[in-house]
Amino acid sequence: MNNPVHIDSNYEFFCLIVNFGTGSRVMKIARNNGISGATILLAKGTVNSRLLEILDITDIRKEVVLMISERKQAYDVLKTLNKELALQKPHHGIAFSASVAGLMGMRKINFDKHNERGAGNTMYSAIFVIVDRGKAEEVVDAAKAAGARGATIMNARGSGIHETQLLFNMEIEPEKEIVLILAQKDIVEPIAASIREKMKLDEPGNGILFLLDVNKTYGIR
Amino acid sequence: MNILIEKLKEVLFSILPITLIVVILHFTIVPLETPVFLRFLVGAFLIIIGLSIFLFGVDIGISPIGSLMGSTIVKSNKFRVIVGGGLTLGFFISIAEPDLHILADQVAFVTSGTISKMSLVVVVSVGIAVLLTAGFLRIVYNKALNRTFTILYLLIFILALFSSQEFLAIAFDASGATTGAMTVPFVLALALGISSMKKNGRQSEEDSFGLVGIISAGAILAVLIMGILSGQDKLTGSLDYSITQSASILAPFFHALPHITWEVFLALFPIFLLFLIFQKISFHQTRKAFFRICKGLVYTFVGLILFLTGVNAGFMDVGSLVGYRLASTGNNWLVVLVGFLLGFVTILAEPAVHVLTHQIEDVTSGYVKRKAVLFALSIGVGAAVALSIVRILIPEIKLWHYLLPGYIISLALSYRVPNLFVGMAFDSGGVASGPMTATFILAFAQGAAEYTEHANVLIDGFGVIAMVAMTPLIALQILGLIFQIKSRKEGVKAHE
Repeated sequence: MNNPVHIDSNYEFFCLIVNFGTGSRVMKIARNNGISGATILLAKGTVNSRLLEILDITDIRKEVVLMISERKQAYDVLKTLNKELALQKPHHGIAFSASVAGLMGMRKINFDKHNERGAGNTMYSAIFVIVDRGKAEEVVDAAKAAGARGATIMNARGSGIHETQLLFNMEIEPEKEIVLILAQKDIVEPIAASIREKMKLDEPGNGILFLLDVNKTYGIR
Repeated sequence: MNILIEKLKEVLFSILPITLIVVILHFTIVPLETPVFLRFLVGAFLIIIGLSIFLFGVDIGISPIGSLMGSTIVKSNKFRVIVGGGLTLGFFISIAEPDLHILADQVAFVTSGTISKMSLVVVVSVGIAVLLTAGFLRIVYNKALNRTFTILYLLIFILALFSSQEFLAIAFDASGATTGAMTVPFVLALALGISSMKKNGRQSEEDSFGLVGIISAGAILAVLIMGILSGQDKLTGSLDYSITQSASILAPFFHALPHITWEVFLALFPIFLLFLIFQKISFHQTRKAFFRICKGLVYTFVGLILFLTGVNAGFMDVGSLVGYRLASTGNNWLVVLVGFLLGFVTILAEPAVHVLTHQIEDVTSGYVKRKAVLFALSIGVGAAVALSIVRILIPEIKLWHYLLPGYIISLALSYRVPNLFVGMAFDSGGVASGPMTATFILAFAQGAAEYTEHANVLIDGFGVIAMVAMTPLIALQILGLIFQIKSRKEGVKAHE
């Protein structure tokens, strides 16, 4: 990490969906450009082809790469990634980004309570927690104790600044779990605090938590 | 069209190495007759097409059925459903496995009928059924995998003390035979279906593997018990051993086709039938999903027929010819070296290896890379074949000289490496001994044994599979050890 991080800086969450096998490359490019860590999920995509649909061979393996960084840096990295991966060409992948409303677990960044955001009228926030494989259960317990109604756990792999090891020529990316919790604005803070306390997010290497403002939700009561 | 090309590339990458090595051997040390060589090339082509179609079929047919059945059985939350389901599934998938029938035929022959074919098939199937149920129960009751394997192999060891050399070899081969191209993907999916319901992510991942390893042990136990009870300890007779002399290039393929079609049909039918029954009782899949799975089964059927036809008509003769002629050059080290190379590349072409490595990638979200697993497997199987050839050349070395230390090392390692790798390793043992090894490598070893005077084609032929099933256990667990050491979080303390 070359860039010093400021508490009141704006953070950007960004996400790339690329073909299977490209995820590690994305992570590598991003890290070379100063991003401190990334998390990769395996996913399935769809194809648009009449023949393949008739044959019912429609699952194509994709990788989803999640990253967070300071806004300006994020835009730079996205630009670099766009250039290196030639995202403008068809079938090369897509990328998008969103503003982060709160962040924990990354280099002493604290959840800024007085953060007035543009879309202040949203009712819900999405809490993302990225922890080592096997710890998601504790996160969910902590969230439920603080009033969360439910949570979704996704398997992923990824690495932060503390963990990159080479195995022969292969980079190892340790296994992670991502917990996604949607909660009302007024209970988001207690939930985040509860998780932060239980998972000891303030100590390095224990996971990160970030919040995204959600503009619309369906199916949540 | 992206997907098709991708899959074809993956399959090409796995079939080309073995093809290249044979082509190189053909032009250097062991020239083959033209029809045999051309048949080999036609076989390689069929294998590439067949394997690609088969893998699609497994993805959308066999795997969904397996994981649906696994989760449905466990969701019932009733002890008797798990036991009943385990016994039924285990028995039916094993009794239909073509490889098991071939093995049983051979055994019936060499024991001069004391052990009839049907009795062996039924006994092994019962063994598989019981152990599959035990494997289910292990997952739902959270019993540790390494302890389970220790108990199973201790039992095998005790029984082995009372068994003859030959029977030991047959027993270990039986375990290879029952874990064929169809059974492995299905059982892997069953384990995935059950373990994916576990709340704890770490445990759910670990328990996705190990079931194939457990049922392999079931076959060994069943045959050993049977051997002891029947009191048969000396094998007589020898196997018919002939090379297709046909000068025609395509005739052997058409000759093999109907027979293989029937075998694949037999292997697939029970799975299809069970699927229909489950669909009626508890799956209630939508029409679309139902037809998709049916299509998957058709792909599996067609793909496996093409694959097996290519292997049997194109590869088998080449295997034994190469083995025989290499041995006749009198250069023993060369035979061992080529054996290692052939083992190294053959395993890549094994259908179940593709299924296992993909499942490993999916379950660990790409943490354990396919290539790393393939590399470890290749080294393991290469070593197995090389060691087997050494055993054929030097009569003083007995099979158990390899197996006993091998399994002791494997079991000891299983207490050191992460549980995930224990399951993967014991599964890969069953996976490695699939149709490709059972024909090509076995033929190679038998060819070499045929030339070597003191070697018995039959006895030395049996046991090669046992080795191929054993070495991956060590290779993959060592890989796990390396992963464990390398991926420790470093630098965290420095930041505090």
